Amino acid sequence: MEVEEIKVPLRDVRKTIKEFYEEDKWHFITVNAVDLGGKVELKWFFSPYGEKERFKVVVSEVSYDEEIPTITYLIPSAWISEWELADLFGLNVEGAKTGLFLEPDSPKAPLRRG
Amino acid sequence: MGNRITIPFGSQHVALPEPIKFVFQTENERITSVEVDVGYVHRGIEKACQTKFKYTQVGYVVARVCGLCSISHTLAYVTAVERLMEVEVPKRALYLRLIVSELDRVHSHLLAMGHTAEVAGYENLFMQTFRYRETVMELLELLTGNRVQYDYACIGGVNRDVTPEVAKTLKERLKELKEKCLWIKDVFENDLTLKYRWKGVGVVTKEMAKEFNVVGPPARAAGLETDCRAEFNYLPFDEVGYKMVVRKGGDIYDRNLVRAYEVLNSIEMVENALDSLPQGEIKVPVKGLPDGESFVRVEAPRGELFYYVKGSKKLVLDRVRIRVPTFANIPVMKELFIGMDYSDVPATVISFDPCLSCTAR
Repeated sequence: MEVEEIKVPLRDVRKTIKEFYEEDKWHFITVNAVDLGGKVELKWFFSPYGEKERFKVVVSEVSYDEEIPTITYLIPSAWISEWELADLFGLNVEGAKTGLFLEPDSPKAPLRRG
Repeated sequence: MGNRITIPFGSQHVALPEPIKFVFQTENERITSVEVDVGYVHRGIEKACQTKFKYTQVGYVVARVCGLCSISHTLAYVTAVERLMEVEVPKRALYLRLIVSELDRVHSHLLAMGHTAEVAGYENLFMQTFRYRETVMELLELLTGNRVQYDYACIGGVNRDVTPEVAKTLKERLKELKEKCLWIKDVFENDLTLKYRWKGVGVVTKEMAKEFNVVGPPARAAGLETDCRAEFNYLPFDEVGYKMVVRKGGDIYDRNLVRAYEVLNSIEMVENALDSLPQGEIKVPVKGLPDGESFVRVEAPRGELFYYVKGSKKLVLDRVRIRVPTFANIPVMKELFIGMDYSDVPATVISFDPCLSCTAR
């Protein structure tokens, strides 16, 4: 498996994705979050169409209250992954609404540690 | 100005046996905007997998994400863990996984096609399709011991071997099933009323498919050549005659035909796999604890299933992330509805074969 990881500060995530992302070539899979305790590691996964086991992963870290830039300007379908971050991790994603995956009486930010 | 009406579609609806809610704003029955809610049954399975269950048990937990594609969920999870722990799975186990996974696709596709026929008012076709699906359910029961929650794959291999008697029965019944599926394909392809009802309805163009990163049969029906079976090495598909089915229409008609042709290809692959089933072990012991991260793409019947696992030498994993195909297709569905007649919504939604059990896992 060929994985190219690009570690960038949060403010550069959109710029980094914009530099390589072409909708004809790249398939955006999802943005994944892992709570590291006090901060969250975010990974945006991409895979090129028609190629075997090749991935590009943009990696960044975010504190709980920092605003995460949306990439829906570049990839319109990314909103659902971003809204999920807002619901399940209680993260502050630009333009994201809560309540898509959880009901009002659900636990808040259930995937955070502790 | 037209007649403006707000129509809630779901969370309980005669056309959609899934707890999803779309709220449509319509003007003279044409949809002008749509809101979506998928959170009625969120079950916190990801949380349970990283707090309550050992990594060896998680495969059985994720099988419960969905009754229809439980095989794909377990397969994706065990593949991710095997890659993380560098486990070499015996070839026979890979072939057995392929057989069960493709049979799962057959029954899931037949279910989706049957539902679309039902929504179009063709109840006879719905019943026939479900009747033929029953054969696959019986074959899966024969192979795995269960009709729904199969628990077939495990870390290191599979839980049950196939006996020569079972293999013989499988081959005989698959031959019958192939003929029935050819008949179904023929009806879906050539029936005039179905063509009138489905051609040009709910069209996802290739451009839309790329823009919204559509996955599975809806993507292939729109001409986008994407299939994890071709883009990720998790089972030996190349050795058993896998063919990617791609069409260009992007409408309900083509989505059904992609499924119909895939059913035939899956049956063919199962037959070939049974004929060339390697001898040897079905499982290897797994030692140690998972350390690091791993991710896999698996082609579930509805499309790309993405699993991410992260461990740190503990019995319980740090993170299990499940990105299911319906989750990936909701954005394009939402976009598609704008400008569509409300009367076309039920058939279009069903033609995407949405699974909320997976989405709100």
